[in-house]
Amino acid sequence: MSKRMVKELATFALPSQPGNERQALALVAAAVSESGLSPDQVERLKTAVAEATMNAIEHGNRDRSDLLVEVTVFEEPGAVVVSISDRGAVTSIHRTPVEPDLDEKLSGLQTPRGWGLFLIRHMVDAVDEVSDGDRHTVRLTVHPGVPPAYPRSHR
Amino acid sequence: MNTTFGVEVRTIEGGVVLELAGDIDGTASAGLGEAYERAVAGNNPKCVLLDFTQADYINSSGIALIVSVLAKARAEHRKVLASGLSDHYREIFEITRLSDFIELRGDLDAAVNQIAESAR
Repeated sequence: MSKRMVKELATFALPSQPGNERQALALVAAAVSESGLSPDQVERLKTAVAEATMNAIEHGNRDRSDLLVEVTVFEEPGAVVVSISDRGAVTSIHRTPVEPDLDEKLSGLQTPRGWGLFLIRHMVDAVDEVSDGDRHTVRLTVHPGVPPAYPRSHR
Repeated sequence: MNTTFGVEVRTIEGGVVLELAGDIDGTASAGLGEAYERAVAGNNPKCVLLDFTQADYINSSGIALIVSVLAKARAEHRKVLASGLSDHYREIFEITRLSDFIELRGDLDAAVNQIAESAR
């Protein structure tokens, strides 16, 4: 795809401190305000950005505030993409060690935690990972006007 | 931007209400757990209503806290309801299947009235 067809909407970096995911989601929400996403899509994207940023802070950069989480928001034809980069090892979005199962969690067979990657996958249309040396990037893609891949009735 | 978690516990006819406010994330762990214990201590309520009207943000850690409260309530044979969820968080409750175990209601007053009526 030609670079001329990609429009950067925002780029910023945040110290890896717990709670900074709130800043990331607010900045991304502001950046995509004119991108044609529905209010529901913006809300889902905000949740995915928050969770991916939390992962980058906690697991990628191991809560080291001297390491930055870098976020770029851009538009491609028919898509809004948010890339979130850290300096950690690859943590696969697609190969969750244990898929959260609420029945098992309520029975004590799974920990109550473990919803982050699950939420990311369900909130956007596509999730991709790229690893380049010590730089690990998660790309979240949303297609304006397209219904969610996992509608509310999904189980 | 970040808002501190807070919770008010109120006894109603037929149950108790935990009115949650602010950010429901990992920082809410102790506060939510203590509020639940305080709410059920003494009067053994059959229903626990979690009200999210004043909640600004729920993340995966907050979902885990809600799962913990739900597990405890179920072990104690208490019914759990939720009110005041935005459409977005209602969707998350459905995707995670929390809504299979927590009755989702509209606003706080309607939920309180329903609990009271079912107790009569």
